[in-house]
Amino acid sequence: MSLYIAHANEASHQEFDFGDNVDVGTFEQILDMDEGEEDDGHEFSRSIVFGFLEQAETTFVKMERALKENDLRQLSELGHYLKGSSATLGFTKVKDQCEKIQHWGARKDETGSNPETDDKKNLKLINESLKKVRENVEEVNNLMVKYYKQLEGEE
Amino acid sequence: MDIAGQNNNSSDFVRKLYKMLEDPSYSSVVRWGDDGDSFVVLENEKFTKHILPKHFKHSNFASFVRQLNKYDFHKVRQNNEDGQQSQYGANAWEFKHPEFKANSKDTLDNIRRKAPAPRKQGQVSEELPIQQIDLMNQQIVAQAQQIQMLEASNHELRINHQTVVQELVRLHRTVLNHDRIMQDVMKYLNSVDAQQRRNSKTLFPNAQENAPGSNLTPTSQNIAAADDEIPASPLQHAQQLMQEYNADSQLNFPGLEQISTAYQPPANSNGVRGPGSAHSSGSMGYSKLSDGQLEQIVYPMGANNGIDPMYAEHLPNIPYPMPGKEADGAELRGKYAESRKKSNYNDPNWVRSPRILLVEDDPTCRQIGAKFLYSFSCVIDTALDGLEAVSKIQEGGKYDLILMDIIMPNLDGVSACHIIRQFDRTPIVAMTSNIRSDDIQMYFQHGMDDVLPKPFTRKSLLDMLEKHLIHMKKLPSGMDPPPTAGVNPSLTTQPSSTHSVRDDMSAAASPAGSTGTWNSPSQYSGVSPIAGTMGMPYNTTYMDSNNTAYQSQPHTPLVPRGAMQAAQIAGPPGPHRRGPSDMGPQDMNQAKRQRVSGNFSGSTAMPVPMGRPQ
Repeated sequence: MSLYIAHANEASHQEFDFGDNVDVGTFEQILDMDEGEEDDGHEFSRSIVFGFLEQAETTFVKMERALKENDLRQLSELGHYLKGSSATLGFTKVKDQCEKIQHWGARKDETGSNPETDDKKNLKLINESLKKVRENVEEVNNLMVKYYKQLEGEE
Repeated sequence: MDIAGQNNNSSDFVRKLYKMLEDPSYSSVVRWGDDGDSFVVLENEKFTKHILPKHFKHSNFASFVRQLNKYDFHKVRQNNEDGQQSQYGANAWEFKHPEFKANSKDTLDNIRRKAPAPRKQGQVSEELPIQQIDLMNQQIVAQAQQIQMLEASNHELRINHQTVVQELVRLHRTVLNHDRIMQDVMKYLNSVDAQQRRNSKTLFPNAQENAPGSNLTPTSQNIAAADDEIPASPLQHAQQLMQEYNADSQLNFPGLEQISTAYQPPANSNGVRGPGSAHSSGSMGYSKLSDGQLEQIVYPMGANNGIDPMYAEHLPNIPYPMPGKEADGAELRGKYAESRKKSNYNDPNWVRSPRILLVEDDPTCRQIGAKFLYSFSCVIDTALDGLEAVSKIQEGGKYDLILMDIIMPNLDGVSACHIIRQFDRTPIVAMTSNIRSDDIQMYFQHGMDDVLPKPFTRKSLLDMLEKHLIHMKKLPSGMDPPPTAGVNPSLTTQPSSTHSVRDDMSAAASPAGSTGTWNSPSQYSGVSPIAGTMGMPYNTTYMDSNNTAYQSQPHTPLVPRGAMQAAQIAGPPGPHRRGPSDMGPQDMNQAKRQRVSGNFSGSTAMPVPMGRPQ
């Protein structure tokens, strides 16, 4: 079930297994935007990807704080925030967790379609989800470091 | 002897006369003359009283004499013989007719009632004229009445005709007015738009940086002048046009009055058609004249600005895009043309670079969105939240489209949209992952024009742009309306030419990639000029005549009219253009482009620092 990215470079046909962490089609769009970068062919996507990972770390810190403060609303906003960028990059797993956090923070169930007024439960679920999403992000980070290293090695 | 047996040709009167003379009892009163060739009325009084009634049913001697005269009997003059009395007495009346003789009945037939002799007209005019005059009088009266009626109806027709003509003229004027007003409105809107665009340019720091430089180019100087003029006096110009219009009517109204007066005579004469046709021809002359004036007035600047107000498609062609193209679009292209190199999509073929306000709090989404937008040849401004977006619009920033995230700090996208809608109609597209139907309904209720679901893809973003900026798409060259403004062709030329550029560029990707140097900087450095030239034709197009515009275009292979300019096209189309070595010199051929290229190189960071190492 592993997904492969056939890099835009038709010549190298490099493939990289991101697993189910990354939606290849979405991420490839970003890679496409790398074309023609002057100094480093991947500078754009690299900056986006690692910018996001930094952004995610920062957000997690805020989430931890909000969790301590039982600030569901803040947690929902942070979840939404990270959801958007992760979805745009195709970081599917991260996005899914963030979406759940957004819903729980909004005092709804994980689908967001039903209300869930048990705040303790919501906080607990968020706490669990936060751990998962941090793991996901870490995983993506490792993959991306590897991926870009591989790209550089090619050049 | 019997009269009955006589020829019917003889007159009753003559036969009665003859019969009367045969009666011997009348001999003392009337009898044949002594010679038998005449008859004599001896006793006038007795004859009239007694004999005339018996034979002629009247007792009027004068009438009897008149009858005799009609049959050409002549009274024998008695005083012919000097001093001698008539042989029949002083009171006797002797009448003679050559054919009227005693004992000569046969000759009676020869006595005919003679046609009225000229010398007897006096008698005729005594009887007939009275009737004739009456008849004639009646006829004259009738004719007079007819003439009166004709006159009345003619008058009525004349008035009606005049009214119709006046209405026609008025209508014509109204149409003229509307045309001009339309033109004014168009101009005004254009100028307002241009102004707004200039203002919005200030939102782009880089644009400001470039502004001075771009002003140095001859083209932009012209543009700046045009921009200054147009917004400065749209209303004045409108007024001027109205005045001209009044002058028109003053010029034309004498003609109309002439027409009206020319109509007067026909009432009194039969020359109705003459004046009538004169009238119509006068009207025609008027309309012709007006048409000519109309054209002059409606398209006074069409030849210069390439905008035919009659064609809505020309709206995007109005000059204002120039500065933006030059200062913003070109600069951005210069910077990011490389990134578009490997575009899976054809160039959207904008008439000018669309200005997009990207309202997004998330840096990743913002950068990616902006990157995509750049790849679509858009000029991007960003706002980090709804509050900033509102203030940008309030400060006069003008955009062709606003992409609005929904959930943002400070002010959410829906609220921002709601506020912006109080004073601005720029299309706003919600970018959100919350796309449940009630969510979407709310977006629309607050003035959103569309929803772009998140996570958006490059395709979905482009589709959204093309959907809402369809008016900014260049016309296919085949659809080019027959232009009053000669610049149109060049405008339509560009799409295909630009298109060809894109095609070439994307085509270039493959071969380039096959060399394994797809990311080599040098490989794509040459593309930057191409991107620059993509922007350039707009400039020249707006500024100069067709030829110049074409000249500034390096490639028009797909354009029908391109054949004309083929010789002028700098450099061969297609792959040959791709090489950096080709591009540079080629572009340098064009002084204007060279300067603008300088601008491009002078332009630095794009508004959104995406793609730069962070």
